[in-house]
Amino acid sequence: MKKKPVRQVEITATDDGHCLSFHAMASPCEVLVVSKNNKLALTLGKLVADEVWRIEDKYSRYQASSVCSAINNSGGQALAIDQETYLLLNFAETCYQLSNGVFDITSGVLRQVWQFDGSDNIPHDTEVQKSLENIGWHKIAFDEQQIIMPDNMALDFGGIGKEYAVDRAMIIANEFTQLPLLVNLGGDLAANKPRKTNVPWQVGIEHPGFIERKPMVVSLLKGALATSGDAKRFLFKDNVRYSHILNAKTGWPVVQAPRSITVVAPQCIQAGILATLALMQGPQAEKFLTEQEIKFWAIR
Amino acid sequence: MQLNHKKAPINIKAALTIATSALLGTLPVIANAADDSTTAAKAQQESSWDFESAFLYYSESDRVSAAEAVINAQKTFENEEVLNLKLTIDSLTGASATGAAAQPNVQTFTRPSGKGSYQTQANETPLDDTFKDTRVQLNAQWTQPLAEDYTGSAGVHISKEYDYLSLGVNGNLAYDFNNKNSTFSVGLSYFQDRFEPEGGIPLAFASMPLAYDNEYDEYDEYDDEDGEDQTVNSAGKAAFNATRRTDSDDKTTADIMLSFTQVINRRMITQFNYSYSKVDGYLNDPFKMLSLVNSKGIAQDYLYENRPDSRVKQSVFAQTKYHFEQNVIDISYRYMWDDWAIDSHTIDSRLRIPLSRNSYIEPHFRLYQQSAAEFYQPFLAQSNSIPKFASADYRIGEMTAYTLGLKYGMKLSDGNDLSFRLEYYRQDPKNSGHQAPGALAEVDLYESVDAIIAQVSYSF
Repeated sequence: MKKKPVRQVEITATDDGHCLSFHAMASPCEVLVVSKNNKLALTLGKLVADEVWRIEDKYSRYQASSVCSAINNSGGQALAIDQETYLLLNFAETCYQLSNGVFDITSGVLRQVWQFDGSDNIPHDTEVQKSLENIGWHKIAFDEQQIIMPDNMALDFGGIGKEYAVDRAMIIANEFTQLPLLVNLGGDLAANKPRKTNVPWQVGIEHPGFIERKPMVVSLLKGALATSGDAKRFLFKDNVRYSHILNAKTGWPVVQAPRSITVVAPQCIQAGILATLALMQGPQAEKFLTEQEIKFWAIR
Repeated sequence: MQLNHKKAPINIKAALTIATSALLGTLPVIANAADDSTTAAKAQQESSWDFESAFLYYSESDRVSAAEAVINAQKTFENEEVLNLKLTIDSLTGASATGAAAQPNVQTFTRPSGKGSYQTQANETPLDDTFKDTRVQLNAQWTQPLAEDYTGSAGVHISKEYDYLSLGVNGNLAYDFNNKNSTFSVGLSYFQDRFEPEGGIPLAFASMPLAYDNEYDEYDEYDDEDGEDQTVNSAGKAAFNATRRTDSDDKTTADIMLSFTQVINRRMITQFNYSYSKVDGYLNDPFKMLSLVNSKGIAQDYLYENRPDSRVKQSVFAQTKYHFEQNVIDISYRYMWDDWAIDSHTIDSRLRIPLSRNSYIEPHFRLYQQSAAEFYQPFLAQSNSIPKFASADYRIGEMTAYTLGLKYGMKLSDGNDLSFRLEYYRQDPKNSGHQAPGALAEVDLYESVDAIIAQVSYSF
């Protein structure tokens, strides 16, 4: 077991403000704020980190005390949920509908048969079909008060949790200050306003796994960026590269998808879903985004 | 394996925008991204001012009603300097208790101006219905960080009514420590008020004069050629003026307030205040009087009140806010005491209950109890000598009061806040041990006052 990282916020000065860094959701995280006031910056950093850690504690499937674990261990019984969980489930439902079932937060059980370790270890289709029996958003019943999930199924908020945390962190930060700031949780990020009038934030997007590539620098006045894709997590057999993006309907990875897609949207969770939905289009990924008039960067 | 977007061209972007707004409780916004090459993309103009507006209506049954409009504007500058400007306009109309006691017969009173009179029916509390005033008040406050952990603030206040002018200045210094979880602040303020009531300022314990220019008077014609307010009734005016000391008078108020705020944890915050206030100058209400009654309790005369010319008030205040999983409770207690022997207790509590992500209700309960000023008396008795100070103003007598209210607030789809508040306020004056002779035992000397408060607030 890896040792749990210490929950603390570190402050460093930047050219025109401060950077607050912390570790959450298995990623390096930072808040950039245009303020010379280090007390204010540190308070802001702690507010943001607390919110991100709160969401991590509440929705991580790795934490036994999380709401996610409670749902996953509910054994088919009705479980009371709060408003926030209800809203997240509602959002997941919308994504399921918009993707015709390809995006499904119950598809996490497929990880038991798919291990994307760069090998040629492709599972047998009978294993995949068996897993599919425990997948299917439509089998879940929920309303504002409770959720009923069949036994042996599991929710995984991993596909939306970090992006949601960016948006929530931004809300918390904006309640605290109106200074220009940027929240970056391991590459999924959002900015509330330009760094200065007409001066955008310069953001280096590191594509996980692309060791040889220099981070791509993009300019962002305001809004959010999210990246989907991971160059390290794939399988390769018979000249076919299987990405770690799984189609929840077939149980098989999407082929011929870009290795990584970065999307711009007003909110981070939107950007994240659009990037993931695009990857699920495989060879049509870029076309899908272009048709929707969405600003993006793709790496093949 | 692909999305169905070809045969059903659903706008996924738009659908996600709506879903995201629902999730985050935000309004749909547009992101601006620019390439490395095109940094000149349109920048969002900073929304520089935040506005809050409120309209309040206060109405006492059969007595005073007030309408108040408030607009508050705040701007935060680059280095966390904050400028706050607040404009308040209120308008007051209706009747207020004069201090005279109810009687078994009709009573006639001279209006404060001396021009005209009014009558109060038997067994009714005498109310002066000439109350009509508009007040314009402007506050400006500048707050800025002074040094590491120190925040300074300074402000000016001006308030003008028809017969009243108030000017004030204030300064405040706050010190944050213990990782900004604790704040200690000290504030000073000074006000200079000038009162110029219609009809001038009456002499202490002067008898209410007769009206000299009654509208039903046969001598109501002015002699215009003369250019002066010459009326045949000039003797009446002279008699009225003989009861007046001066046209205007002043008072000054100096306050000091010490405050300590402590964040207990993420959910709880507490505050403790101590304040000391010294008021000097003209502290009477020139419109208030006392009935001078005989042994049968029948009014023989009405004398203008007289209060000491200084007052020292002190108060302690404690407040706690606690954020439960959903609800927020806010409870405070204040104890005030002064050298007029008034002491009061106030308990105020609010509970904010979210109804949804964008709306809440907030029940409000306030309980107030005060003891009487040592010179308060509901009337003067002829059998006793006139005391040094006396006032029959029920507001400085013994009383209990409570407020019951409900507020409903919501966030509109454009992100602005709208709230409605409706409250019931009841004041119950009490007898602090005064024996009522004869007729006074039959009337209500301590009439309760009911009021309704309605408020609409909108911030944008």
